[in-house]
Amino acid sequence: MGDASMVGLMGRVTGTVGPGLVGEVIVRVRGGAEHFLAYPAQGAERIESGTVVMVVEYLPPRTVYVSPAYDS
Amino acid sequence: MPMFVGVVAGAAVAAVAFLIGLFKMMWRVAEPNEALIISGSKHRTEGLEEGMGFRIVTGRGTMVLPGVQAVRKLSLDLNETELHVDCVTHQGIPLKVRGVVIFKVGDDFVSIANAGRRFLDQQRLMSERVHNVFAGHLRSIVGGLTVEDMIRDREKLTGQTRAACGTEMEKLGLIVDSLQIHEIEDPTGYIQNLAMPHAAAVQRDARIAQAEANRLATEAEQQSFARMAEATRDSEILQAGYQAERDHAAAKARQAGPLADAGARQEVVVQETRVAELEAQRREQQLQVDVRKPADAQAYEKRTLAEADRDARISAAEARARETELAAAAEATRVKQAASAEAEATRTRGEAGASATRATGEAEAAAAQAKGLANAEATRARGLAEAEAIKARAAALAENQEAVVAQQLAENWPEIVRAGASAFGSVDNMVVLNGADGVSELLAKALTMGGTGLGLARKLLASMDQNEPVPNGTSPLNGVVPPAVEKIPVRED
Repeated sequence: MGDASMVGLMGRVTGTVGPGLVGEVIVRVRGGAEHFLAYPAQGAERIESGTVVMVVEYLPPRTVYVSPAYDS
Repeated sequence: MPMFVGVVAGAAVAAVAFLIGLFKMMWRVAEPNEALIISGSKHRTEGLEEGMGFRIVTGRGTMVLPGVQAVRKLSLDLNETELHVDCVTHQGIPLKVRGVVIFKVGDDFVSIANAGRRFLDQQRLMSERVHNVFAGHLRSIVGGLTVEDMIRDREKLTGQTRAACGTEMEKLGLIVDSLQIHEIEDPTGYIQNLAMPHAAAVQRDARIAQAEANRLATEAEQQSFARMAEATRDSEILQAGYQAERDHAAAKARQAGPLADAGARQEVVVQETRVAELEAQRREQQLQVDVRKPADAQAYEKRTLAEADRDARISAAEARARETELAAAAEATRVKQAASAEAEATRTRGEAGASATRATGEAEAAAAQAKGLANAEATRARGLAEAEAIKARAAALAENQEAVVAQQLAENWPEIVRAGASAFGSVDNMVVLNGADGVSELLAKALTMGGTGLGLARKLLASMDQNEPVPNGTSPLNGVVPPAVEKIPVRED
């Protein structure tokens, strides 16, 4: 189970992601769904709850950087 | 031989049992909620980078060399920690917060490794450690929030929790599943006061709604009652109508028998009446024949006879009347002629008488005239003489009243004596006891009364002289005074 497998996974925002905030996304991984602390991958992006995001970067143990999966 | 076989079989069984036991000692299986942390072997490190020095097995079995490698279990179960923290909110309101933190060891190997290194021997103390971490962090979290936020804005609370504790817990290899605030003790009553207007409004709305509901319910109930009453009334009316019809029919049925009876009786009566009428008619006709006709005949006979009789009488009377009339006429003629003859005679006689009487009358008249003239002369002479006498008497009266009175008395003496004798006039049979003397005495007394009267008259006159006017009222004199009274007008003359 390599760490690289996290990158590129799709997840859903459960706590708003944005500058100055610690967001939360839930991602299907290892046969279950786990939540990770999330930060925006690009600048001053604000991603509301419920938005589908893609994991751009994974920083072990529990931090990911995400960006919206679809353009608005 | 069988002994040998038994021993061999037993040895084999023992060997198998030994092998199974050995395998059981070497083969360890990780249960779904735990991670095996195996240390002591440099080899067969999988899934971990260099430098860790132990391997982590989750969800499967692995061979472990007893005595060479050590196997420890790390529970991945959920843990919870009760929090009792005194905090101050963003507004400076002191609160006592009671909550619970639910956390677990992260499922990835990095988290398991971090947690294994920190808590492997202190898994029971993990809650305490986390409590200590969170007690501080919760203060900062609550300090960043207002009471309203804590009550209403869960998103903000979890966001703050993540911001404050997320990275902290990451270091420990733990993840926070949830932070729950169970109870906020509020010594200043801030929350209660906060809720009061809303509670009052809610109560008001509830009461309004309740009252409205009651009203609607009562309305519906009353409508229902009214409908029930209406239905009852309709039903009773219908029942009464049907009952009336039934009674009517029953009465009719009961009356049918008597009615038929009465009808039959009526027929009988009608027929009987008819019979009676016929009989009456027959009897009437019979009577007509038997009684009336003979009676009529008789009456007719009588009437005819009476009329004839009457006519006869009338004729007789008429005849008599005619006879009388004729007789009267004859008598009248005769009398008239007699009367005219008599009248002629009388007239002739009267004329002769009249001329005789006229001659006599003329002679008598002349005689009477002469006699009257003579009388008149005589009367005039007498009147003059009387007048002279009265004048002389008046003069005499003026001179001597007593003489006049005496003269008057003397003139009227016979009258007085008559009046005195009148007392004896009514005596029917007088017995005089003294003989002739008695009679003369009696008469003397009676006459003395006249003398006494004279005395009285004299006295009266004297008193009249003294006090001039003596009323001509009653005086005790009887029958003497009225002539005296008559004198008074004469004297005044």
